[in-house]
Amino acid sequence: MDITEYIQLVFTDYTLRTITLGTAILGAVTGMLGSFAVLRKQSLLGDAISHAALPGIAIAFLITGAKDSNTLLIGALISGLIGTFWIRGIVSKTHLKSDTALGLILSLFFGFGMLLLTFIQKQPNANQAGLDKYLFGQAATLVESDVWTMAIVTGICLIVMLTFWKEFKILLFDKDYTKTLGFNTKIIDILITVFIVLAIVLGLQTVGVVLMSAMLLAPAAAARQWTNSLSVMVFLAAIFGASSGILGTAISASQNNLSTGPVIVLVAAVFVAFSFIFSPSRGLLFRQIRFIKNRRDLELHKTLTFMHHIAETHEDISHPHAIKLLNNFQGYTKNTLQKLVDKNYVQLNGNMWSLTKTGFETAANLYTKQSTKDE
Amino acid sequence: MNNHSVDKETPASTGKIAVKVDDLTVAYNYKPVLWDIDLEIPEGVLMAIVGPNGAGKSTLIKSILGILKPIAGSVSIYGKPYEKQRQLVAYVPQKGSVDWDFPTTALDVVMMGTYGSLGWIKRPGQKEKKASLEALEKVGMLSFKSRQISQLSGGQQQRIFLARALVQNASIYFMDEPFQGVDASTEIAIINILKALRKAGKTVIVVHHDLQTVPEYFDWVTFLNVKKIATGPVKDIFNDDNLTKTYGINYKVSIQE
Amino acid sequence: MSSAQLEIQLIACIVAVACAIPGTFLVLRKMAMISDAISHSILPGIVVGFFITQDLNSPLLILLAALTGIITVVLVEYIQKTGLVKEDTAIGLVFPALFSIGVILIAKNANDVHLDVDAVLLGELAFAPFDRLFINGTDVGPKSLWVVGTILLITITLLILFFKELKISTFDKGLAASLGLSPAIIHYGLMSVASVTTVGAFDAVGAILVVALMIAPAAAAYLLTTDLKKMLALAISFGIFSAILGYWVAHWLDASIAGSITTVLGFVFLMVYLFAPLKGIIAVMYREKQQRTEVSLLTFLLHLKNHDEVEERHVNHLNEHINWQKVRAKTVLDLALKNNMILIENNVVSLTKKGNDFTSKAIDYIITNEDAQIEDMKDDFFLFRG
Repeated sequence: MDITEYIQLVFTDYTLRTITLGTAILGAVTGMLGSFAVLRKQSLLGDAISHAALPGIAIAFLITGAKDSNTLLIGALISGLIGTFWIRGIVSKTHLKSDTALGLILSLFFGFGMLLLTFIQKQPNANQAGLDKYLFGQAATLVESDVWTMAIVTGICLIVMLTFWKEFKILLFDKDYTKTLGFNTKIIDILITVFIVLAIVLGLQTVGVVLMSAMLLAPAAAARQWTNSLSVMVFLAAIFGASSGILGTAISASQNNLSTGPVIVLVAAVFVAFSFIFSPSRGLLFRQIRFIKNRRDLELHKTLTFMHHIAETHEDISHPHAIKLLNNFQGYTKNTLQKLVDKNYVQLNGNMWSLTKTGFETAANLYTKQSTKDE
Repeated sequence: MNNHSVDKETPASTGKIAVKVDDLTVAYNYKPVLWDIDLEIPEGVLMAIVGPNGAGKSTLIKSILGILKPIAGSVSIYGKPYEKQRQLVAYVPQKGSVDWDFPTTALDVVMMGTYGSLGWIKRPGQKEKKASLEALEKVGMLSFKSRQISQLSGGQQQRIFLARALVQNASIYFMDEPFQGVDASTEIAIINILKALRKAGKTVIVVHHDLQTVPEYFDWVTFLNVKKIATGPVKDIFNDDNLTKTYGINYKVSIQE
Repeated sequence: MSSAQLEIQLIACIVAVACAIPGTFLVLRKMAMISDAISHSILPGIVVGFFITQDLNSPLLILLAALTGIITVVLVEYIQKTGLVKEDTAIGLVFPALFSIGVILIAKNANDVHLDVDAVLLGELAFAPFDRLFINGTDVGPKSLWVVGTILLITITLLILFFKELKISTFDKGLAASLGLSPAIIHYGLMSVASVTTVGAFDAVGAILVVALMIAPAAAAYLLTTDLKKMLALAISFGIFSAILGYWVAHWLDASIAGSITTVLGFVFLMVYLFAPLKGIIAVMYREKQQRTEVSLLTFLLHLKNHDEVEERHVNHLNEHINWQKVRAKTVLDLALKNNMILIENNVVSLTKKGNDFTSKAIDYIITNEDAQIEDMKDDFFLFRG
């Protein structure tokens, strides 16, 4: 199947269209809110919340007996929020560290959820099938009404985020200062937390409990590498998230036996890896290149300074010296000498070199600059 | 509310009391850090708060600003409770208290100073931007306005924080160690701005570490070590006696160096 | 109780102990979430190992999978070092990616691999007794019993051999390095043990529940003691207790054994969290309330000592000036009276000699930062004893 065919299919095939739309919206909203989570240094909170949502799903099913995903999501939301606030309670009231609290809530809630799920499976109730999908997610089970729910929640998120943009931003940057300006930081804080939990819960059906945290983190971590502006970062994270959703769906649809969730996560991981390496300002590649360039400059400067030392002893700065003199000096290579010639700092004449006037001055300047730095 | 105690610390300039702290006691996890502090800061002074590490200097500022909740005592700004006088007060936190890798620019950080007067939801507009640019100019950072904040030096970051407070156009400024980790030229720039603020009739309160520079920079000083040791004009009370009381026996020697 | 039931409980207990030991150190070293990362990212290692060995209990598979665990740790640390993202983001990025690779590998080879992602994540202890180990044709017990038993034996041996090193490097990295113990070797050693344990245990209790068995007993023990040896012992006991009780709860509910063990663990932790004598939430809240009164009392006494003016010492001043609510002011006043710290004459409060001495001493202690001594002082002055 080629690409044009696939694109046609996306528009004509109900299931594929629903899934593509669903994963795209999901990616966008998690990317957006994930940026806040990452900047608040709460990256792993998402992992804990998604696991903590599981018992809520099971209990909602036990109470209502309904498989309607909206009812189950409300259960997930409540238990996710309980988990979140319990984590805060543990961290603030005991000496346990935040990572222990996260790990505790994550594993204990999940284990309890598993107990309930296996208990439900043994019940004589025909409706039970399909709760498993919340473990690993099954994008294929998305229906139009799910996509509507996602779209509505995303819309609300967007409105709230745009309305309180200024407040979110200042809280993320400097909480104490925000307080002194007279803002109620607790309200802003709870608002952000509730929306993060909401986004996570929304994604459970599609990518599942286990992989949900990656949807939150990966687009945001990738986006951070390309920009130094919060608004651009949030926007880019939404784009990266949505693209991961669309691409992931396409890849998994084009092959047999490929579940959508893991593929989406891997696509997002590729975005991250690409951004880490190739981002022009922060990326590892350019950083390495700059590092090498700096080292070369340093070698060049060292050679030049050394020549300057020799030249200083003569009244005529352009007095020629033998290249041999440089051989024992570690900064010197044929390469650096050639570069110095290229820069017109040095003139070569057979086996002899001499400093030019510019070369001498540059070297002298280097020297004074370095000595002031040493102070 | 109550004007029962008029002490000797009557200010030189205007006679008004800018900040009044009554019987303030603060405890972290119920471990006491500030004990029964009574403090009156006259309007128009440039005051240093000095004391050893762990003396509660930052805590004092933070509890005056309502960031920390004291277990006893009250704070008033120009005779009214702090909550009602917030717009008169600006705060410069310690540079290390925020994540400088945050994706934002210098101008953006300075603009945050306008958020308080804007209130909820309303966005900063041209007026706020103009004020922020002016504040950046005052601290000599105008050419860095679009710089990402992580690409600024320590001294430049401190100037940005100062500009953010300036843009609030407050009457009272609280600063937590503004000279910590800054270069010499920034230190001079900052102290000149502080002196200009005092000239304009503002009150400036600074948590300060470097005892040598106290007489040169400040005209008022508070010695603090869990309790208030002394407060008053530098020329009257900045002496070996108070230093010894605050820092312990051997402090005299090291300050004369 | 049938022999199969006994074997299941035995396996569960051994897993619990094998997890509690590295778990205790992970909790103390603030690395609990690393165990979560490892438990997920070993999946591709398990799958590849299974392709090669076709046996979930093969030692080679366990080593391969444990290697993936180490790779995770190294990768996380590498990303942290680049400074491109904040520390915990690195963990959150690495393990979902590796886990996804594992899931996809399983899905693509569903026909060859009799591995079920559910089983990897959740384990199925109930089937463990059916996969038996035969030596020379004799049945020597369930294979997984041998696997986790061996792992436990290695863990205990390492613990005894390197207890001192582990202890020092956990509490004081700098000291460990200056004593010539390499913190890096101990760090990676601990990570290796955690990885091997996770792999060995995933078969029985599943990957995520390994995390519960590592963290929950250690966290509960942490709230009960500050002594490392006691903490280890407590964590192990909590683990064993939850394993056995969990098994019977599962038996009774006819539900997942692993899920039920975790639920019991959760219950144990909740109980300790609420009722631990010193660090439990109720004790903390009670102490905070008591300390608030004590600090208030001291503040009040100090205030009296600081101020000679009559209006500052008037009874009404407590409410009006120190800004306390009426209730607390009354409590403080009563307490001070009861301890003979103050005298009230014509509604003006003044310190007694005892109160004066007490306050001077308190100021001394607080300023010299030795507040532990205040506790002794309280005894000296019979505070709170009426």
